[in-house]
Amino acid sequence: MASINKPLEEYNSVKTWFAGLRDQSGIDPHDDPSRVAFLKEFCASLELDPDEIVSACLLKKEGKETKISIKGRRSMAERITDFQAAGADARERPKRGNTIRSFLIHNGILLQSGIQI
Amino acid sequence: MEYKEVVGRRRTIRYFQSWRQVEREKIQIMLEAARVASCAVNATFLKAIVVIRDNIPRATLDALKTPVSGLNIELAPVHIYTYADMGAYKGAQARLKKLVDVGALNATHGWSHKFVDEFVWPNILKPLSDGGTQPSVTAAVGYDAGIAVCQAMLAAVDEGLGVCLSAFQHEAINKIVKAPPEWIPLFVLLVGYPAESWEAGGQRPRPPLEEIFFEGEYGKPFKGDPKVTEQMKVAKMIQAPAPLPWRKEEIKALARMFGLPE
Repeated sequence: MASINKPLEEYNSVKTWFAGLRDQSGIDPHDDPSRVAFLKEFCASLELDPDEIVSACLLKKEGKETKISIKGRRSMAERITDFQAAGADARERPKRGNTIRSFLIHNGILLQSGIQI
Repeated sequence: MEYKEVVGRRRTIRYFQSWRQVEREKIQIMLEAARVASCAVNATFLKAIVVIRDNIPRATLDALKTPVSGLNIELAPVHIYTYADMGAYKGAQARLKKLVDVGALNATHGWSHKFVDEFVWPNILKPLSDGGTQPSVTAAVGYDAGIAVCQAMLAAVDEGLGVCLSAFQHEAINKIVKAPPEWIPLFVLLVGYPAESWEAGGQRPRPPLEEIFFEGEYGKPFKGDPKVTEQMKVAKMIQAPAPLPWRKEEIKALARMFGLPE
């Protein structure tokens, strides 16, 4: 369990996220400061850094292909739902959840939450 | 719409107008297109059950989703659950003789009632109808079902609808649709009006003709004639390739409209 000891943008998983936002989604990752703020808050709530959050969704075994952990992903999806529910209003709530989903999706963790409207 | 344009316009639509129901007559047109599809031994191997999404209880709808199909299943207002009916060989004897009666199978090609009764049925079809499950038979049945589904998809495009084939959790939906055990679940054909533009970002990348088709023998590419290619462009069978310049903006807008991650 690590504490966040450097700017979020310096974590590899955040760099991957930003690259995905730019290259795949055509979005400037810095266009909305709430993006990083929500991730930081989510990390604090789990007491994990961004790279650890991604790792928590993976199953790594020596000499075997890395897989997405069904348990890990399910548990993370529940944490995201809780994090989303803690939003101030109907506008903020889906934004909170989808920010974290976007972070994980661009790091290769498939998450489908369905429509959030 | 002309046939070639229908073929050219078909895309897998992944964003549906979830709020807009599909007219029942359009579903019937799709099913009729599937019904008249080519099928071996005049057996309609494709079976399907049409379900209106809003009639599926929420818990069942959630249980139907696979990791990659969840959103599609949620957005599409009509679900057509498709199956390969391994029992469709039953009755093939009578159906083949009907083809003889209507002049589809003729003596010119060696067909007669006697041939069906004394050779085709006892030696080939009856063993299959008694439960032939060798992989080649299953593949053949799936092949025919796929042909029929394809016709339904093209009919849908011609009606202005969007379609998407998705995997689904059979056990979950079967509590509602109660498909017979000899039906092998294939895919769910999701149907609705596209929420994305019909171009859906452009025609999907496919390998060139020469890479996947051969002439005479494997390894000798079937070479396309550029003039024919141009004709196909004019006929709109070959269309502007993905990504169209505005695709990312379109996805952004859809993500924001539906509240999806970007």
